Amino acid sequence: MNVAGMGLVHTRGRGIAALEQALEQGWVAPATVEVRGVDPGTLPVYPVSAETLTDKTVLAKARRADRFTRMSVLAACDALDDSGLSPHLDRSKLGVIVGTALGPHATTFSFLDGILDFGDAAVSPTAFSHSVHNAAASYIAMTLEARGPTLTVTHFRFAFHQALILADIWLAERRCDAVLVGVTEELGAVMQHVCARMLHPAADGRIKPFAFSQKPEAVPGEGSAFFLVTREAAGKAYGNLTDMTCNASAPTSGIDLQILDACGLTHNEQPYRHLVIPTVPVTGYAPLFGSIPVISGFHAAVAALMLKQQRVYAAPVRENPATILISDTTGPKPLSNVLCSSLDDAGRYGVFRVTNGH
Amino acid sequence: MQSENREEELIVIRAKLKELLVSNLNMEGVTAEQIKDDDQLFGEGLGLDSLDAVEIVVILQRHFGVDVKDMEQGREIFRSVTTLANYIYDTKQGQK
Amino acid sequence: MTEPVFVSGMGVVSAAGTNVPETLVGFAAGRRNLSRTTPRLTPLDFPIFEAPTLLGGFLAGSRSLRLCGHALSEALAGAHLGPDLSGYRVGVCLGTTVASQLNDIDFYTAYRQTGLPELGPVTSFLKGNPAEAVARATGATGPTLTVVNACSSSADAIGVAMGWLRADLCDLVIAGGTDELSRIPICGFRSLSVFSSEPCRPYDRDRQGLNLGEGAGVLILETAASAQRRKVTPTWCIAGYGAACDAHHLTAPRPDGTGLEAAIRISLTDAGIAPSEITFVNAHGTATRDNDKVEGGVLARMFGPDIRVLSTKGFTGHTLGAAGALEAAFTALALSEGWIPASPGFENQDAEIPIGAVRERTTISGRWALSTALAFGGNNAALVIGRCA
Repeated sequence: MNVAGMGLVHTRGRGIAALEQALEQGWVAPATVEVRGVDPGTLPVYPVSAETLTDKTVLAKARRADRFTRMSVLAACDALDDSGLSPHLDRSKLGVIVGTALGPHATTFSFLDGILDFGDAAVSPTAFSHSVHNAAASYIAMTLEARGPTLTVTHFRFAFHQALILADIWLAERRCDAVLVGVTEELGAVMQHVCARMLHPAADGRIKPFAFSQKPEAVPGEGSAFFLVTREAAGKAYGNLTDMTCNASAPTSGIDLQILDACGLTHNEQPYRHLVIPTVPVTGYAPLFGSIPVISGFHAAVAALMLKQQRVYAAPVRENPATILISDTTGPKPLSNVLCSSLDDAGRYGVFRVTNGH
Repeated sequence: MQSENREEELIVIRAKLKELLVSNLNMEGVTAEQIKDDDQLFGEGLGLDSLDAVEIVVILQRHFGVDVKDMEQGREIFRSVTTLANYIYDTKQGQK
Repeated sequence: MTEPVFVSGMGVVSAAGTNVPETLVGFAAGRRNLSRTTPRLTPLDFPIFEAPTLLGGFLAGSRSLRLCGHALSEALAGAHLGPDLSGYRVGVCLGTTVASQLNDIDFYTAYRQTGLPELGPVTSFLKGNPAEAVARATGATGPTLTVVNACSSSADAIGVAMGWLRADLCDLVIAGGTDELSRIPICGFRSLSVFSSEPCRPYDRDRQGLNLGEGAGVLILETAASAQRRKVTPTWCIAGYGAACDAHHLTAPRPDGTGLEAAIRISLTDAGIAPSEITFVNAHGTATRDNDKVEGGVLARMFGPDIRVLSTKGFTGHTLGAAGALEAAFTALALSEGWIPASPGFENQDAEIPIGAVRERTTISGRWALSTALAFGGNNAALVIGRCA
């Protein structure tokens, strides 16, 4: 399916220009938050700033929306806007799919605050209704008048892949002419605490996608990445998303560049070593966005941008103990096939390709 | 004397209510000062909706210790800041 | 019109019964197994539909998972399948609301008080995604997805499963939904002022709101080719699925019901069936003022004022993420059994709704029926369900 438009919200800002800028600039040190109860009492993080989530026009119908929903609405609206297709789309054939691993957990905890502070009979209905996972999809539909099917799906590792598979089916079945498909993850205070204790926070602030470590280091992040996808080439026509699967081996021939999703969230990243196609340059941009369960969505955006521009961006962090072939320069390069590879803790292999159809 | 007290207390309740409405209902671009006592809260007035209505019930519970048992009865109470304040005052008088 | 998918087995568990036969006996008798909330769950006092305590079962972990495992066992047996599905191309698509949230109140209380909670609940949560858990337990290697679309979750999960089968991504899908009674939705729905303090009365003039319930519904969906290969003769099929969003409000349905109407039309077109062929509708019928009014209006408009309507939520309560799948199963059973139960709680027709629900057990003979779901967030889903012979 064709990527007609993209929208992103991440730690370095919002929109395609901010993405390009981050890719050009490379790695920057993460922010640090205090985390109670753990040594050293701090955690490196890549948060999305409150300023990034302020937009009185796009969020006009979202005054009550929480951060999770704001990130999703901004990314989804930007994707539609980026495509330039908005005036031509039949809204009854515009679908929405939001994929997430953890959903709007900060709002769930805020609702629990209500129970603990005021009792079961005085909780906030607004907090409750926004803690339901599909609130973000609902806001996207309301903001954009999308009256096709709306769906929110969860999977701890492959939410993006599964959402893409579904978008492809909706287009093929002609339920939709276009689908806003994307992923969102937020990093609330409780999750920061959990991350500090369950992950291995990177002391130097660097996620190392090519370390293939048994104790992979993480810098938790958050954000949202959305794509307006269509059957035929339309809009910006960044490229085609294809071969999405979580249960089959990946195509290895004709690949120009391989992106690894390794970002410190699986217990052991050693198996990623076996995914590397020896003759193909390898890259990974998690060090820019942070350790995010749905990092695949961000990688799809980078791949699509590179295909559109016929330009590669150097891997931002290039520690290379296994001496693999790393994509280490930024500049023009003919590209027609980018492979994105992901692994979960059970060893399942998630993959998709972004191609320009050549 | 009674009615003077009532009016004084109502002024305080109305001011507190306006602050709470603006903050708890995320009324963007509206300040407490801009809300008039008799502005219609729902529909054409300040544009609040059914979800705000049940949120106001929680505001009354948490900050004034007043329950709204029947949402149908609520329609009249929820018309404006004035009617809400009157309901809070009268209910609290009844509890004494 | 596209190919139907076949239902070769199903399992249900709810307050109405721990399996299909028990549920049918309860339906025939008009039995409503209501209990009340307990202090263990919440200090609030409301009627609820609690499923019986289950011993053993297929899946360990949260109550939602155990309910799901229980229904899954029955569904697999009905489909003549063992617990190990690694030899087949199997997908798993399940709906839920509660099981998708890290909402353990003890964990959070400890976090607030000590700053250093036990992480056990987090680990359980990370292992507790229903579709991933079922895929692990059965060895299913196909697409795996948990749908979290609030009250239409498992109707949508069935729709997703149909898409996978029609796209030939797999031959079989474990599709359905599960939700346990939990303090969060109890407090939440009460705060929205949609809770009834008496047994719910779907479609009745004097309805006050919903009762929450719990349960799981699991359907084994299969392509015709797969059923043929396995030499099984399915009794039911899902012929059509439609979904459409209101794009109106987070918690209130669009008053004109056009989103639901679109979903139903799409499901009928998908099935290649005319509205006149629908024998009855198992309505979403939550018994809230808004839902039944909007839904009833749409059903009357599309199927005429004489369409037979019932809401099995009078037997199960609103089981949230399990509702769509349980109701799809109940709809299928009614078609093969040849009767629908009296719609519990319905006595007097509402002047604002052009249709009423069925007041007594009613014999039916048609092949097709419709099951609807309206969700928080404005999504509407409809399934056209058929009897094979």
